[in-house]
Order: sequence, then C-alpha cells, then structure tokens
Amino acid sequence: MRKLFVLCMAAALCCTMAAGAMAEETVKIGYLAALTGDWAAYGQTEKNTAQLAVDEINAKGGIDGRKVELVVYDFRGRQEDAVNAVRRLLEEDKVSAIVGANASGINIATAALVNRAEVPQIGTVSTNPMVTVDRKGRVRPYSFRICFTDPYQGKLIAWFSAKELGKTKAAVLYDIASDYAQGLREFFIKSFKEYGGETVADEAFKGGQDVDFRAQLTKIREAGADVLVLPNMGKEMALIMKQARELGMDDLVFVGGDGYAEFMWEIAGKSMENSYWINHVSPSDPNMAKFFEDYKAKYNDECKEFVNGILGYDAMYWLFDAIDRADSTDPVKIAQALADTKDLQLHHATITMDEFHNPLNKDGIVLIAKDGKGQFFKKIKPE
Amino acid sequence: MATLIQQIINGLSLGSIYALIAVGYSLVYSILMFSNFAHGGFLIIGGYFCYFALNSAGFNIWIAGFGALVGAGFAAVATERLTYKPIRERTSVTLYLLIASMGMNIVIENIFVIVAGGRFRALPPVIPTTPVHLFGNATTSALDLISLVTAFVFLGGLQLFLTKTKWGLAIRAAACDLRVAGLMGVNTSKLISIVFFVAGLLAAVGGIFLSVRYTLYPQLGMITIKAFVAAVIGGLGSLPGAVVGSLILGLSEMLTAGFLSSQLRDLVVFSLLVVTLIVRPTGLFGKDVKEKV
Repeated sequence: MRKLFVLCMAAALCCTMAAGAMAEETVKIGYLAALTGDWAAYGQTEKNTAQLAVDEINAKGGIDGRKVELVVYDFRGRQEDAVNAVRRLLEEDKVSAIVGANASGINIATAALVNRAEVPQIGTVSTNPMVTVDRKGRVRPYSFRICFTDPYQGKLIAWFSAKELGKTKAAVLYDIASDYAQGLREFFIKSFKEYGGETVADEAFKGGQDVDFRAQLTKIREAGADVLVLPNMGKEMALIMKQARELGMDDLVFVGGDGYAEFMWEIAGKSMENSYWINHVSPSDPNMAKFFEDYKAKYNDECKEFVNGILGYDAMYWLFDAIDRADSTDPVKIAQALADTKDLQLHHATITMDEFHNPLNKDGIVLIAKDGKGQFFKKIKPE
Repeated sequence: MATLIQQIINGLSLGSIYALIAVGYSLVYSILMFSNFAHGGFLIIGGYFCYFALNSAGFNIWIAGFGALVGAGFAAVATERLTYKPIRERTSVTLYLLIASMGMNIVIENIFVIVAGGRFRALPPVIPTTPVHLFGNATTSALDLISLVTAFVFLGGLQLFLTKTKWGLAIRAAACDLRVAGLMGVNTSKLISIVFFVAGLLAAVGGIFLSVRYTLYPQLGMITIKAFVAAVIGGLGSLPGAVVGSLILGLSEMLTAGFLSSQLRDLVVFSLLVVTLIVRPTGLFGKDVKEKV
C-alpha cells in the first residue's frame, strides 16, 4: 500500500512537471469578442472560428511543436469592457498577441493599452483608418488589421467599375448623414478619375429619412451615367435600385460596397438582379468551402456572420504564420513579423502589409446579385 | 425640357400621396381644432392590414385593400374613443389632444414593432410598377399614375360625401362650430366617429400606396410630417387647401432636388412652412374660419 502511494506520488509529480514543461511551450493568444450584448452574434461566430483555427493548428502539432492556447474575453460591445478585458489579457494572462475586436471604435479605444504594453493586436472588421494610425498620422506600432480600409474599398469600387465593367461615366448617390458613405464616395471619385473615368453626377440624400430618390435619379439619367455607385447601407440602396428601374433606367449598372444585405431582395425584387457588391469576403468563395463545412461539422450551425467568421479565422492563421516566422513567443518579435508580412496566402486573400499596418492591395471580393441571392462573382486586385 | 417635365411628374405623384394624408389632418382639425399626429399610425395600420390580408389570408388586392381601409377606419375610431374622447370630456384645451396624439403615434408604431417586427416588408406586386413613357422622354411608373388617379377619386368621393349627404352637411356645420351643431340636434359623438373613420380610411389608402412604393416598416408613418406641413401651407382645416398645399410641396421638393441640390430639399420645404406662417398664418386657403371644410 505504501509502495503504491509512493508510486502514485511519483507519477503525479511527473505529470505536474510534464504539464509545467508543456505550459511553457504553449503560445497564449488573447481574443477580444462581444459574446453578449447587441453584437453577440458576431462575437460568438468569431470566437467559434478562432477556436476552429486553434484546434486545426494544434491537430497539426502546433507552431514549431508548441501548442496554441486561446484566451477569450467578452467585451459586451462596450469600450470600457474592452479596455478591462485587454488589460486582463496583458497583465494576468500575459498573452503573446490579441485578435479582435470587430469594430473600429473598440480598437481605437484599446490601441493605447496594447501599444504601451508592446503586444500586437489585430482588428478583424475594423475599417476606419484611425485603427492603425494616431491623430498625427503616425503608425501605431502594435495595431494591425486584416480587413481593408474604407479608402481602399472606394478604390476597389472605382477599379471594378472602370476596368472590369469598362464604364466611364459614373454617378454617385450617397448618404450625407453617414461618415462611412461619405468616405467611400470621396475615395471612389478620386480613384475613378485616376482610372480614366469621369463622375458625371454626385448626388446626396439623408439616410434614415429620405425614401424618394426619383429627383436625384432623374438628374443622374440626364447626366448620362452608365454606372451608379451606392456607398450606403441596405434599405436606401434597395429603394434606389427599385425606383431607378421604375423610371426606365434599364441599362444602368449598380455597384455597391459591403452594405449588401439579403433583406434588400424583399424591397428591390428583381431590380437587384445583376448588381455588383464589393465586399471583404463571400460565402460562396470556392476557397472557403472547406471552412464552412468544418464550421458546420464542429458547431452544428451555419456560419451566418460570414464576414466576421472568415476574417476572424484568417486573422488567427496570419498570426500563426507570424509567430512561426518570428520563431518566438515574444510579442515584440511577433509584431515585427506581422508588420513584415509579404504575399502571405491566407484562405480568403493574399495579404501584404503596408507601412501603416493595413493589408496592401488586398483582394476584393465581388458579389453579384443573381437569382435571388448574392453570389461569388470574382476576386479583384487593382493595379 | 424633358427633365423639367420628368421632375414635374415626379413632384405631382409625390404630392398626390401627401394630399391623401394631408386631407386627413385637415378633416380632423376642422372639427376638433387639433392636429392628430397619430395619423401616421393610421397609415401603417392600413399598410399592415393590407400586407397580412394579402400574404397570410391570401386575399386579392381588392378585398385586401377594402379590408385595410375599413380596418384602419375602425382603428381610428377606436383610437378616438379610447384616448381623445376621455380627454375631450375632461377639458376643452385642445393642446392636450395634440400631445395625446403624439403619444398615440408612438404607441401604434411600437405595437407594430412588437407584433410585426422592425424589418422591411414589401407588398407582393399587386399594383403594377412598370415604367410608363409620357411625352417622349419623360418616364413614370404605372404606380405613380394609379396613385394619382386613386387620390383624386377618393378626394372627389370625399367632396361628394361632404356636399351631398346629411352627415356631410352635419360635418360642415360642426366645422363651423361643434357645440352649436350639437345644440341643433347633431349627435356630435357619432359625428366625430364618422370623421375619424373617414380620416383613417384615407390614411390607409396612402398607407397602401406608400408601402408599395417605399416598402412597409413601423416608422413609415414619419412621412406624414411632410403631409402635415402641406396641410399647414394649404391652410389647416381646408380640404382644397390640403390638396393644393400637397402638390406645391411635392413639386417644390422634386424641383429643388432636381435643379438645385438634393441636400437643400428639406431646407426649402421647411422654409416654405416658416414663410407661410409669417406671411399668411392661416395658409393659402384658410381665409375664412367659417368655411373650413
């Protein structure tokens, strides 16, 4: 009996030592997700996809033999909770890097913390330029993003309209009450000119109030526009398309940004058909088919918030690659490796970092509205 | 020139919808001397009645439309009985009715948020929206022409009701003085119910056309603010005034957006309101208080 006890103790001791050795070798990655509150659906999806990526890398033996450990904290969609969560990740969990959040405002709020602690943070769907640069336009050394920025999306829309569709006379109908729409419009017009096109009509409306756009559409028709750019959100774009077709503007092509939503079909009906939408990702991108299958198999649910899901998943893979290249779990070295990323093939795109920590010349995904749903059309990369 | 004709057509079709709603405001104002801001609520009641009659019950547009008109009419009567009547019986200050109507508008809106959800619903294509070509270059949709015609049919019908029937006579008498009309043997309670029924019915007509054109959602009633402005410009309490004010407003909106800038649209509309109130506070047709209907 006594012998057995000693044996057990010895075994236990061995296990503890082994575990200790293991613990030293794990790579701790923090994840900032809104698991409750208004954005819970997005946050839950991101948490699931991040865990999916971690399980996959661990099944392959981890990064250089080191297992990855994911630490997820809920920020409830609020800046103050995000700041507390990040503080805890930095001070208590001592993570090597943080992925999330999925909103520009949250990333801007936590930027000061991670940059002081010198731990890299990757925003997933944080498109505002301020996420990675400070007020004076200097890059924040430890802030990164995987999505493209609002100005870049404007450029993508211009490139697609001018080069892919071969249109030279564009009209813009934008929401004057939205910073997002205004930014997209501004950068579209600038880039469209560079690609040899001309913006013949630049019209505005008030989002959330205006429902009648026929006056603006009549002007657009008079100006002879062959493509109508819609840098807005769902409802208004659907009404604009419907009213344009009712006015007999049958040849006008609609190109929009990532404001595309499935509910627009109910409003616009067949006026939606053959419109193009420049988005971050597509649910029917052939490269993502395996991801969606794996997600469904693991969580027994569709990955409905696919933009968040795919960007969260690939942000993890980007980080794995950076840790591998840095050959270290030191946050400073990982940040350097993230900044040096060049031609990295992820699942949804190939990324190269620019000096401001934004993916440079990232592939844009074009969705085409066809047969009652948004479908993958092609990947584009402007020259 | 083609652009001008196009913008005028756009303006008239928008104005005709405003007119249906503005007449409802004027009708209630002429009898009870307050602006019933729950009118936007009646409008969405009509829209949702029609939507569910078409989609859930599977009726055709004529039956669904008729049901929506009657349903919204009774909803308006019920609103009056439950909210305005108790207030009317306790005080003669019409300001309280105005405030209550603002509350009722929010109540109705939120009932639909809870019952039907906040999402956008499109009526099935029961009213054709195909483009119709006019005068060579100008284009309008079939819906615009139908709504213009419907607006005039209903407004004409209202005019006949007011001038040719006994209750119409009573309403016109009450518009001069509700109390005296009551003393002359008119059942004022019933009369007010009839007025609200008619107002609700007209709001539902506007609601159906608006939901076909702009889709249906609980906040659709917000558009009645413009119709109210039109009623004020035309002269609150005057039915021809409501129609003319609406057409002026629709035209000025479209012409401003078409020839100046779409950003100036609301600026012009509300400046027009302020100027009207300064120059002619009674509105274009509100010259004689005794001839409000």
